[in-house]
Amino acid sequence: MNDLTTRPEAEGDMPSASGPWPVELDDVTVRYPNGVVALKNVSLTVGAGEMVAVVGLSGSGKSTMIRTINGLVAPTSGSVRVGPHAVSELRGRALRHARGDIGMIFQGFNLADRASVFHNALVGRFSHMPTWRTTLGLATEADRAMVMRSLDSVGMLEKVWHRAGALSGGQKQRVAIARALSQEPAVMLADEPVASLDPPTAHSVMADLAAINASRGLTVLVNLHLMDLARQYTTRMIGLRAGEVVYDGPAASATDADFEAIYGRPVQARDRLGE
Amino acid sequence: MTQAPASSVAKAAPQVPPKPRTWPRTLGIVAVLAVLTALTATPALGGVEIDLGAIAKNWTNGADRIGKMLTPDLSVLPRTWQPLLETLQMAVVGAAISAALAIPLSLWAARPTNPNAPFRAAVRFVLNVIRAVPDLVYATILVAMVGVGALPGVITLVLFDIGIVVKLVSEAIDSADAAYMEAGRAAGGTQSQINRLTALPQTWPAYVSQVMYSLELNVRISAILGLVGAGGIGRLIDEMRGFYRYDALSTIVLEILIVVVLIELASNVLRKRLR
Ligand SMILES: Nc1ncnc2c1ncn2[C@@H]1O[C@H](COP(=O)(O)OP(=O)(O)OP(=O)(O)O)[C@@H](O)[C@H]1O
Ligand SMILES: [Mg+2]
Repeated sequence: MNDLTTRPEAEGDMPSASGPWPVELDDVTVRYPNGVVALKNVSLTVGAGEMVAVVGLSGSGKSTMIRTINGLVAPTSGSVRVGPHAVSELRGRALRHARGDIGMIFQGFNLADRASVFHNALVGRFSHMPTWRTTLGLATEADRAMVMRSLDSVGMLEKVWHRAGALSGGQKQRVAIARALSQEPAVMLADEPVASLDPPTAHSVMADLAAINASRGLTVLVNLHLMDLARQYTTRMIGLRAGEVVYDGPAASATDADFEAIYGRPVQARDRLGE
Repeated sequence: MTQAPASSVAKAAPQVPPKPRTWPRTLGIVAVLAVLTALTATPALGGVEIDLGAIAKNWTNGADRIGKMLTPDLSVLPRTWQPLLETLQMAVVGAAISAALAIPLSLWAARPTNPNAPFRAAVRFVLNVIRAVPDLVYATILVAMVGVGALPGVITLVLFDIGIVVKLVSEAIDSADAAYMEAGRAAGGTQSQINRLTALPQTWPAYVSQVMYSLELNVRISAILGLVGAGGIGRLIDEMRGFYRYDALSTIVLEILIVVVLIELASNVLRKRLR
């Protein structure tokens, strides 16, 4: 219903940071302070403009992988590169700048419920705004315009002055997508973006992500635990098991046997979303 | 037919882990509390002296005064307007100044809005010191420093209010779910940007209700501050008490009660609108 491909005007009027970027993980290991090794020697390259699903059981390291890509989690060893940014090397201002070029969507939407939809989407302009401007509440006209266009492109413009907490789950996730699009990112990360949504809404949000990938040419990495969503909306699938890459290949043709190999157990009904 | 359910029930008998025993701990806590109470009420051990006999001996004194207070003397009313107005002014000005100061202080004192641990500890330490000093001590010292009048009263109220508003608001921030912060960080925002645009609106309801509460406390406290010359209705209370005019005193108490109830009502209306 909010398929972005039906909105040609959204295309092209929001340039990305500088075209799509590749994402490279080189021998990345993440060991949390409590000793859990969440990623083990992961090396992979996602090409510019690819739409990739990361699948795996709960605890396999999907969230950890997404978080190392924008530096929310620092690798214990190995390196992470996103386009021109050597993310794993960066600190402070340079890291914030790199994050500004990488959009992120969360399972729980992560909106400030009491703030307006506008202010939540304006969060996406942080890395483009000097702190004093944010502190004084003075967004530039260009920032406002970018936020409005992002909200419009996901069909949420009419709710711009509503409180984020008053929206439905699907609407919240669209605002979260608009927040990420306001960054004008080159890469979009999504950590189980539809796991809190009912099936029809899940499909339309996945369609939105696919449309963003197609029309803006963004590189998209999306964590999923449902095999049919991975097959239907992405072109490449990376399977994680206990922190290691155990599958890397086309998504559409991945068989049930491939999923069983990733999951390490027979495929069950709850591995599919259905309609 | 009948076989299948029976066998599945037999197979499904789950192994419940043993429930931890809690009664020894409960018993221990009760015992410690009982011993502490006994110790603190034993004069031989330096505890407080609870002399029930004194109450029995002097009850006629008290009853006499209570009797007078039950028949309020309304003739004192005209004399109360001016000091009551002064009390209200002190309460409002004190609450307003402390409310403004409490905004940055609360954000600095809470962990989610200030990840810098040493800075946070320093802010909390200063606030603990401010809270540890009783309001009458502030008032007495300030009267000696700046002279008798409303000014020492207002400064006392500001210090007192900052202590409670910052403590309660920062605790509310500490205990609230702050997933939206992660989105701000992922978008490349600085902590100040995240605080200003998202943490602040999230904190609004707790903040408003604490400020209203401090206003209510101010009215009650300034009744006492007058005793040490720090302005307001307390001066009149001191005078009436000096002349043993308990009937006039109760009129003043009733007035304060009415003001406090009115503030409470206004606070409820505000809180409802913010919800
Ligand atoms: N902050 C943390 N501190 C310590 N251990 C963590 C932390 N975050 C994750 N882990 C552990 O790292 C492992 C991988 O977790 P991760 O969240 O990446 O898995 P996931 O594939 O996203 O799982 P899910 O599908 O449940 O979200 C798990 O064993 C988890 O318990
Ligand atoms: Mg996860």
